[in-house]
Amino acid sequence: MDLSKLMEVPGVMAAFTYTDKGDLTGQLIKEGNELTPQVLDLLAHTCVANMSIATMEARGWEALTGQKGFEPLQGFSLVGLDWSAVVNGNCGVVVKNRDADYEAAFAAISATKV
Amino acid sequence: MHIAKQLMAIPGVIAAGEYAYRGDRYTYEGGLTDEYARMASILCRANTLNASMQAEMFSSFAEHCGCRPLQGWVVRGKQVSVCAVGNFFCMLENRQGVLNDVMTVMRAKVGDISDNVMKAMYSKIGGDVTEQLV
Repeated sequence: MDLSKLMEVPGVMAAFTYTDKGDLTGQLIKEGNELTPQVLDLLAHTCVANMSIATMEARGWEALTGQKGFEPLQGFSLVGLDWSAVVNGNCGVVVKNRDADYEAAFAAISATKV
Repeated sequence: MHIAKQLMAIPGVIAAGEYAYRGDRYTYEGGLTDEYARMASILCRANTLNASMQAEMFSSFAEHCGCRPLQGWVVRGKQVSVCAVGNFFCMLENRQGVLNDVMTVMRAKVGDISDNVMKAMYSKIGGDVTEQLV
């Protein structure tokens, strides 16, 4: 997986890959921020957990309400104070909120994921 | 103008609402029944609390890593997405530009964008339908 492509996403601070369990398998971090591989590893686990929860909720919501259009999920984003993590599949990016283009980030990840 | 009304002015927004952090109170606008809006409010509140707890945990690894306090989250579905920022939620179609517009408005009202919301939006997308927001 070419993480350097994800480093072209607007406002990107880091790009990373992870296993289905959330273990970090690769990362590129731009200089000058506080992100570390340890933080990205925790972030990846968090995102795997949240994607699973969101899948359960989407499936339940569609069954209960009859409203379609959620599944299959195309990604999840955690919006922090200064940055957002955007993930899908086994890769993700961290983008500065100030420069964040969420749609571009989701599209880039979808184009990259295996 | 109420935030939910402002969000509903964005073409592609299906429903928007506000929920109480504690208790069962909620208000909403758009294409949901009252019962579905109640469910959506509970779901968004639970997820926001969960994600906030996760953001707190990040600080044990890097105190000033920039995640805390959490603003919200986005679930991107195949054709529909859900955003939650603060105690507001929004359900929207995955049409070009809608998610970015919604996030800009939500962050401006309850998040981290403190300067002029229109300035922030025009700087990103060049300005067209967003005139309806003010």
